[in-house]
Amino acid sequence: MSEAEMKIGAYLCKGCGIGERLDMSAIAMITEREAKAHIVKEHDFLCGEEGVSLIQNDIDNEGVNRVAIGGCSRRAKTEAFTFGDIPVTRANWREGVIWIRPDTDEARETTNDMAADYIRMAVAEVKFMHKPEPNEERATNNRLLVVGGGISGMTAAVEASKAGYPVTIVEKTGALGGIAAQLHKRVPEKSPFAEPVDTGVAELIAAIDADKNIEVCLNSTLAKTDGAPGRFEVTVATESGSTEEKTFGAIVQASGFTPYDANKLPELGYGKSADVITQLELEKLVNDGAGDIIKRPSDGKQVSSVAFVQCAGQRSDKEGHLPYCSGHCCTTSIKQALYFKQSNPGIDTNIIYTDLRTPGAGGEDFYRSGQDKGVTFTKGNVSEVSSEGDSLAVKFKDLILNEDAQENVDLVVLATGMVPNSGPNIDSELTEEEKNAEEKPISILNLNYRQGSDMPQLKHGFNDSHFICFPYETRRTGIYTSGPVRRPMDIFQAKEDATGAALKGIQAIENAALGRAAHPRSGDLSFPSFQKSGCTQCKRCTVECPFGAIDEDEQRYPQFNEARCRRCGTCMGACPVRVISFKNYSVDSVGQQIKNVEMPDEFDEKPRILLLACENDAYPALDMAGMNRIEYSAFIRIIPVRCLGSVNLIWITDALNSGFDGVMLMGCKKGENYQCHFVKGSELAQIRTSKVDDTLQSLSLEPERVETHEVAITDIERIPQLINDMAATIERIGMSPFKF
Amino acid sequence: MGDVIATNQTILVVGGGISGISAAIEAAECGKQVILLEKSPSLGGRVSQLHKYFPKLCFPSCGIEINLRRIKANKNLRVITMAEVAKVTGDAGNYSVEVKIAPRFVNEKCTACGDCSNAVESEFDDEFNYGLKQRKGAYLVSNMAYPQRYVIDPRMIGSEDANKAKDACKVGAIDLQMQEESLTINVGAIIWATGWKPYDAKKIQPYGYDRFANVVTNVEFERMADAFGPTGGKILRPSDGKEAKNIAFIQCAGSRDENHLKHCSRICCMASLKQTTYVSEREGKSTVYYIDIRAIDRIDDFYQKVQADENVSFIKSKVANIIEDKDGNPILKGVDTEGYNRYENQHDLVVLATGMEPSIPADAFPMDIKINEEGFIEADESNGAIFAAGCSSDALDVNRAVQQATGAALRAIQVVNKVAGMEG
Amino acid sequence: MSNGNTALAEKYRNNFLQEVIANVEEGEWVRMCMQCGVCAGSCPLGNAWAHTPQEIFMMIRAGKREEVLTSDSMWMCTSCYNCIVRCPRKLPITHIMHGLAHYAERMGLAPKNQPTRKFALEFWKNLTKTGRVNETSLGVKLYFIDGFVSGIKKGLAALPLGLRMFKTKRLDPMAMISSSGCKGKGDIHKILAKAKAIEDAKFQSKNA
Repeated sequence: MSEAEMKIGAYLCKGCGIGERLDMSAIAMITEREAKAHIVKEHDFLCGEEGVSLIQNDIDNEGVNRVAIGGCSRRAKTEAFTFGDIPVTRANWREGVIWIRPDTDEARETTNDMAADYIRMAVAEVKFMHKPEPNEERATNNRLLVVGGGISGMTAAVEASKAGYPVTIVEKTGALGGIAAQLHKRVPEKSPFAEPVDTGVAELIAAIDADKNIEVCLNSTLAKTDGAPGRFEVTVATESGSTEEKTFGAIVQASGFTPYDANKLPELGYGKSADVITQLELEKLVNDGAGDIIKRPSDGKQVSSVAFVQCAGQRSDKEGHLPYCSGHCCTTSIKQALYFKQSNPGIDTNIIYTDLRTPGAGGEDFYRSGQDKGVTFTKGNVSEVSSEGDSLAVKFKDLILNEDAQENVDLVVLATGMVPNSGPNIDSELTEEEKNAEEKPISILNLNYRQGSDMPQLKHGFNDSHFICFPYETRRTGIYTSGPVRRPMDIFQAKEDATGAALKGIQAIENAALGRAAHPRSGDLSFPSFQKSGCTQCKRCTVECPFGAIDEDEQRYPQFNEARCRRCGTCMGACPVRVISFKNYSVDSVGQQIKNVEMPDEFDEKPRILLLACENDAYPALDMAGMNRIEYSAFIRIIPVRCLGSVNLIWITDALNSGFDGVMLMGCKKGENYQCHFVKGSELAQIRTSKVDDTLQSLSLEPERVETHEVAITDIERIPQLINDMAATIERIGMSPFKF
Repeated sequence: MGDVIATNQTILVVGGGISGISAAIEAAECGKQVILLEKSPSLGGRVSQLHKYFPKLCFPSCGIEINLRRIKANKNLRVITMAEVAKVTGDAGNYSVEVKIAPRFVNEKCTACGDCSNAVESEFDDEFNYGLKQRKGAYLVSNMAYPQRYVIDPRMIGSEDANKAKDACKVGAIDLQMQEESLTINVGAIIWATGWKPYDAKKIQPYGYDRFANVVTNVEFERMADAFGPTGGKILRPSDGKEAKNIAFIQCAGSRDENHLKHCSRICCMASLKQTTYVSEREGKSTVYYIDIRAIDRIDDFYQKVQADENVSFIKSKVANIIEDKDGNPILKGVDTEGYNRYENQHDLVVLATGMEPSIPADAFPMDIKINEEGFIEADESNGAIFAAGCSSDALDVNRAVQQATGAALRAIQVVNKVAGMEG
Repeated sequence: MSNGNTALAEKYRNNFLQEVIANVEEGEWVRMCMQCGVCAGSCPLGNAWAHTPQEIFMMIRAGKREEVLTSDSMWMCTSCYNCIVRCPRKLPITHIMHGLAHYAERMGLAPKNQPTRKFALEFWKNLTKTGRVNETSLGVKLYFIDGFVSGIKKGLAALPLGLRMFKTKRLDPMAMISSSGCKGKGDIHKILAKAKAIEDAKFQSKNA
């Protein structure tokens, strides 16, 4: 849109005490003459029906196509001040000015300065905001690819199909069912949670066989996965070597787990005695005996006593052990002890545990049921299992009786853990040991992405999301992990998890079809645009994108995959030549706000501090500071940013050059327990601003003038304090000499 | 958020806690029409009253902020607060739901300026802070309240104060004549996410919650740790306001107990482990009295980290009873069962890890639904298109509740898509 | 009974838990204990117990037959029922304690000089003799339960109390010699003999 076609309406609200606190006529004049809004109107109660229709009327009849509102925070009255796709900006006079400034005569002038700057900034910003245009990349393939035909994969497929979406399951082996198919029975899911029940695998396979909407590719793997939500191009390779190209809308990765290698547990007798087996091996033993008579592997003698060793090679920091708990093993051992009790109640079954973990309603009921049927439970640490004559001696410390004990049994079952099938860790180099290992991790997805072949791993090899409140938000849009590859879990949970993952897949398909962003900027229609002419091929954007959305084309230029993009702007912040921008968020839309802050001269004793605040946490905290009337310096000018990762260094340089006395950046916590919704934004900003020192030096400015802080949304008192501290620092070191 | 006309392709979500919010947004972001009902004046439920989440020690309001933004931006979703379901009739794909909406006495004109609150004097127990502090009779539930709209306490109606509030409002947002409304909506599927309530600690008599000031519950402790809570984020003893430095956590206070709640509430172990970090941050000592520490799956490492903290100790024991000494210090009596050691330990403050009880008693559901012995909704064909989400289905942590709610959203979508298919 | 004891130990091999479940009153509850220890802490006489109830349950699971049955712990129980009302698994702990004591006695393993045990035996003898408890003779017996000298000492120490009881007609020395039993004393004896026979038969058949 050309300058001439642009018509900016500025609407100044006098409600909530704004009219009494601010010199509205002066501000209206500034809005018109300095900010150059085309229409400037004041109203006593702008968010009311009359105020809103005033704006709507100007849009409908006066050709207003940009709206700047002076009033409350953008977080308040959001629905009232949404006018279709017309760009709207807000000057936060209420939470950001009158509520954080004292109502005194001395404060009046600086408070007015603040409000005047904010409307200047709002008008400047809206000039550089444009309606997002439909994403050319929109694609509408609605088939869901499910990787893995175990219980999670099958459930995801059946559930998605029930909602009307076609599904393809790609399963590595020759049959559906996965590890669940090897089980004799499973833990009950319904009250009275008393007896092991049928695994349900056959039922699921039958449902899939009968469903024309579900295609199954057995003996198949993914040779290559390319594209983006709505248009994933996948090469499915069969064992025989043939390949087939298929297109999908979204992917659910349900690649499951591999049982921990019990050979790493010689101290527990595994590999030394055939009668020391894992939980999974017991399932086979029971199936072989048709569930009735369970014979021990060494000599086929009917088992008359069995010990279950919980946490075998788990919850342990020993080399080669798993540091985590696999979650299901306590109930699994109870279930297996019941196999024995059902075949003959006289068989001694003892479960040796340290913490018995049977959560929820079902878990505790099942524990009681096990006890009721005569399964005994011993709190103890097992140190050794060895052959002793005709039996196995289990040596353990009985923690209740506080003594070393030994139990001789016919069979020992080790509750070993789950190792996720998550493929290679794309974020780490292979260790020497891994390089030399015979079996290297095999890629599951073979993503043809710039940032690696598989899903990023969170911890211990699991592909979990890092967000407690958003468990499915992976770092690869349109690909959702489900089942034990994500977190250790039992069958019931895996089915629940798969159902949720299927929904996320469907949602990704629907979003891609409309060109909309997925969580957390759900519904955002903007996407990064890029001017090839200026690009220096520095690769910062392709490397730093937290979501692996940017590839490189043959000429090594960045290639954006909009449907993978989450609109955080990290690429925009990374670009040293500023060729990446969004229609509604750009180097200019922020840069112009900075430029439009009126800069008092050096002798006015009115310093100016710029705060670039993450809109997810720092900005809401500032609003809440206002709601609680926590005062802070009138010299601050705050600009919300999508993520600290989107902060381009030019903003800081420009601010310093134009006379700002200090610059503050506030983002979310980084590091191991990062809270950044865009994963790495805060971390990247920290790295980038560490380079600001050079700029400061070249300008002969003190390093204290630029600060980066990790804050949380709850820092309602701390953030004002940080601002005041910065104001004090400026007072101490003096004004910037760059005021013109 | 948009206005939605309910049809049998609409999904109704009952309960605006984290599970209900998640189910509603996830379904709406798939393009479905959704109505979200919440009984209280604002969304967020129990999680909004928590200080931090385990195991990341991050703040719930951070995720709520994102969710609220998603709600504000979504035209398919309509939120109705102060609303309860009175009756459900009909079958899968075609339910008729009678909804009662309690009067807020504040209409949508409210700008949340706070003038009404400043004008009134009457105070009531603040539910958001479990009654640990008082709030005004005209109030905003919390800093994060959505809708960001004030509420007039119905107990204030008819008083001089109520008129003062009305007179103080410059935009005419206060309507003291507001009455309870009834609304009947037609929906295709229902997601039931009414969540949980903390077990009534008074009922655990040996722990003296109703007799000893310095015995509090875990949910109250969350409020105490919050800078905007009743103690300004300091852990102060209710009896004398002294800072508590030696704190006991009693696990399974009501859970895993056939005299109280038969089930394991799953979250309380992790919650107490998390709360020990609040204590350690404030240079205090914690003692956790437990039966089994249930730090399930990959978050077991959080337990390992807390175990490594020298300010935290663990005693495997269900505490038998609590007495109080003359200075108001609780004294815990019991036996450490690992090797039989009898103890009588004095602490400054006791935190009861009270369990989760389903919010709605088994006999109070406004529809036919399969409830298990513990009071949770069990998935069953006979439930038709009514699906439980979150803690209505079992004792779940936030992560699992959201996961389960996301699944519930798909189950509801399956029903309304079928309806759409049949109607073309 | 000691023969029976050996035979039972043999029959159950080391599985003492099953023996307890089969033979001890309310013994089947032992398996339901989850080792929380609330019974141990709730017992007002807990300090006097060598093994707490929860520990005894664990010892039973661990097959410590001899240690459990010779222990004086379960004889310490005064039936205050604190443990029962607090047990989260609703185990009838008081009854189990009495059941175990009774079983230990039957097995001939109960500690011979445990005072509660001796009192119980005296009480039973006194009661069943006439069908009515003779408080005077039971009282005197108890004074002399640890021997003549100690009985005299205890008696002298309690003399003022005794005199006051006599004055208020709460103590009748004549009852020592002219005990008045209940009507149909013979029938009571028959009933008790029959009950014992039933109990023995039940025990025999279970362990045949």
